[in-house]
Amino acid sequence: MSVRINPDQCIACTTCVVHCPVAEATPNFLGPRMIGPAYERFRLLGLAEDPSLHYCANCKNCDISCPHDVPVSSINMLARAEQCKKQRPGLRDWVLAHGELQARWLRLIPAGLKNFGMLNPVTRAVLDALGIDKRAPLPRFASQTFRQQARGFRQSGQNRKVVFFPGCYVDVYDPRTGLDMLWTLNRAGYEVIVPDEFVCCGLPMVANGFWQDARANAERNLATLARWREQGIPIITGCPSCALMFKTELPEFFPDLAEKHGLTPLEDAQEFLLDCVERGELRLESENRASLPELRVIYHAPCHLRAQGNGLPGLELMRRLPGVASRNADAGCCGISGSYGFKKEKYAIAQDIGATLFRTVRESGAHVAVSECGTCRVQILHGSELPCLHPVSIVRQRLEALNPA
Amino acid sequence: MLETTVVVIGGGATGMGTLRDLCMRGVPAILLEQGGLAHGTSSRFHGLLHSGGRYAVNDNESARECIEENMIVRRIGRQCVEETEGFFALTPGDDPAYVEPWAEACRKAGIDAQELDVAEALRLEPNLSPDIRRVFRVPDSCVDGFRLALHNAMSARRHGGRVMTYHEVTAIHQRNGKVCGVTARNSISGESLEIACQCVVNAAGSWSGRIAGLAGLDVAVSPDRGTLIVFNHRFTSRVINRLHPGADGDIFVPHGSITILGTTSTPTERPDDTTPTCTEVLRLLDLGEPLFPAVRQYRILRAFAGTRPLYTPGNAAGRKASRNFHVVDHAEQGLEGMVSIFGGKLTTYRLMAERVSDNVCARLGVHAPCRTADEALIPDPDQAMLRRAARYFPVQGLQLMADRLGDDLPDVLQQVELAGRAGESDGNPLLCECEMVSLAEIERVARDPSTHSLTDIRLRTRLGMGTCQGTFCSLRTIGALVEHGVPLELSPTDNVRRFLQERWRGLRPALWGTQAREMELGRAVYAGTLNLDGAANEQDN
Repeated sequence: MSVRINPDQCIACTTCVVHCPVAEATPNFLGPRMIGPAYERFRLLGLAEDPSLHYCANCKNCDISCPHDVPVSSINMLARAEQCKKQRPGLRDWVLAHGELQARWLRLIPAGLKNFGMLNPVTRAVLDALGIDKRAPLPRFASQTFRQQARGFRQSGQNRKVVFFPGCYVDVYDPRTGLDMLWTLNRAGYEVIVPDEFVCCGLPMVANGFWQDARANAERNLATLARWREQGIPIITGCPSCALMFKTELPEFFPDLAEKHGLTPLEDAQEFLLDCVERGELRLESENRASLPELRVIYHAPCHLRAQGNGLPGLELMRRLPGVASRNADAGCCGISGSYGFKKEKYAIAQDIGATLFRTVRESGAHVAVSECGTCRVQILHGSELPCLHPVSIVRQRLEALNPA
Repeated sequence: MLETTVVVIGGGATGMGTLRDLCMRGVPAILLEQGGLAHGTSSRFHGLLHSGGRYAVNDNESARECIEENMIVRRIGRQCVEETEGFFALTPGDDPAYVEPWAEACRKAGIDAQELDVAEALRLEPNLSPDIRRVFRVPDSCVDGFRLALHNAMSARRHGGRVMTYHEVTAIHQRNGKVCGVTARNSISGESLEIACQCVVNAAGSWSGRIAGLAGLDVAVSPDRGTLIVFNHRFTSRVINRLHPGADGDIFVPHGSITILGTTSTPTERPDDTTPTCTEVLRLLDLGEPLFPAVRQYRILRAFAGTRPLYTPGNAAGRKASRNFHVVDHAEQGLEGMVSIFGGKLTTYRLMAERVSDNVCARLGVHAPCRTADEALIPDPDQAMLRRAARYFPVQGLQLMADRLGDDLPDVLQQVELAGRAGESDGNPLLCECEMVSLAEIERVARDPSTHSLTDIRLRTRLGMGTCQGTFCSLRTIGALVEHGVPLELSPTDNVRRFLQERWRGLRPALWGTQAREMELGRAVYAGTLNLDGAANEQDN
């Protein structure tokens, strides 16, 4: 029996339509209310799927803005799953949904060769024909995955332990952020465990309609998480999308798995670090503060972070750093939504959605942009040409500069 | 002064069916209806095309008529019927000893009732109570009573019939013991109309006692009130009946995007006693729970009530009164040319029309046979036309729209193609998103001479019958109609006010939970922002 969400909570107030970045950018999308709860009534009636369903980016601004707690985007994702059951999504969507798996297959090939293979103009033309826009900012493979590098990272003797769920983006493309997290947690006195068993959280699979794959990954991750939970070790992630997936999506999509393994919400790593600061485990201040030039950062809150209703711990962390002037861009969605903005038919929509944010970033006079989400960072760099880092990277930079080892 | 051979009184399914039948046999006829199309009971019932299972034990003959007519209506009224099939489910509260006699009675009536494994039934209908003991599947179906009346009217028109809505019959004239004409009052213009005729068919349903009274006849028709609940979504895809002797609140019917639960049964004095009450709604929820345990978690869109035209010569009442129909030729009481059809139910409307037409034709000496069971009400639209329409209408809702429009589809398509050629971008937006009704469809219906108000448009298009219950679509629609210069009887403000009041009338008895929020939003938009409740001088106070 497949899960269904009762559409009755929606009173058609259309608040979500006003907040939907996609509906604003393209008339091809009927909008969250219409595709979500309103169309759900037609799905129950047996009507064929609305052709504009695939425009939903799953950015969750509808869920955030809904005054009646309608899980609009989840209704859309469940509908997409049903649709993909009837008609398998194409190769392009498979490629975008299974980045982690491809990285594993290609593990033995040196990164330089991989990147040359993937990012040269000929391959980009082929990918473009496949439906991945040639202008899209495809990230580069790292020379070694984060987990490979973490094994060689000498953690100084610690007695407190924390489990870190890196997320595919950090693991495959951006190990540096992962290592910065390791370094900072070490600094706070934690030994960081990065289990090999973790696989992709499954959000890209859900968004691209690979429901069974998402389920298989969920099963594997929940079983692993349950083991660490039982040992009483906190589990954290620096990626808001992974956190959202474990916190709200999995129990909604796979209630049987949640029941079987119990729920293990991943704690937000930035919030965890703030707690470390509160407890005195991590010191952000230093006596020689005057010696560092001021760093101006502009912060972008990923939609999937806002969807959790946790506040903005990453920004708070920036504000606690001495000599850092941080400002919240507060300019809406960046447009990328994971793999959405890479798709040929959506690239322009994604750029259009992100335009306000890009302008805000460009005009901010900041030295660097900051955001927790990997693909948001790629998109911000692509759209505004300002480098964009994870908050923990700024923390490490400042702490290293203030307190040279 | 108009002249015709037969005047049919009553624009419900039976009256329209009779008009169609007579016209197909070549008898000139005019139909008079006091309100809009199907303003009475034909639009105020479950929407259930009975398999006959419900009547099998008590009234096997009715059951046999039901299953025969059920099969015919599916065939001729494809656009009005959704072939869902139905379940009869035995709940822990029902007498298991009823099952065998019931199954035997179904066999006798020719109703194909197959027992189904409970687990399989629950797989097919996951919201059904897991406590049910036994399940039988029967050929129940769903029927749109309003559309059935409309499509009968369209078919009758094609055969030369004439339908006059908003014409209330005020007198039936006779000369030498023979009917010679009727007087009707146009309730919109107030003008009075004389029609000379040889026969009058009284097919006024719950009002048929009153019509007979106009001719000086005393007939035992007792309106019996039934209340039903409309839920916001379709939580069952089949008709679900309780397997027990017919009682209140024991049938759920999926109907397009919604589900209907009913009914109650209480005698009433007035055929238009159709305002539902909160007590009835709460009672129906109690009664519905054994079949659908989560029934209180589903949002109620509204409640509505209708009156059954029970024919009660022996003073039987309520559920004991026969659901059978009776054709009465009033020549026996000394009035030639007047025939009434009393009682009955929508499922057998065509048979009722056939019997009454047989009677009238015999009197007129017309020997043409009845053909209403052979010819479809509306010819199927050809695929090329649907492909053309797909360019302008939401493609998944296309069949729904084509079914609603019937004969009007080619016209709507032509209009929207003309607008398209004129280069109007997005010339055909959805005005009603909850039920997927576009501007072109609404405009066509609004321009129909029989349309006078937003309510008339609603009945034909389902505008305002979905989740928002008119909150968004009524303003959009009236705005579009004013912009396009479509004349309606009332001023735009009065039109919206009356439309919303009609919608709110059905909301009030179930005004809690999400639906209360919905109505508050509507009130904020219309009473708060648009000042529709007319607090014109409140600044001065």
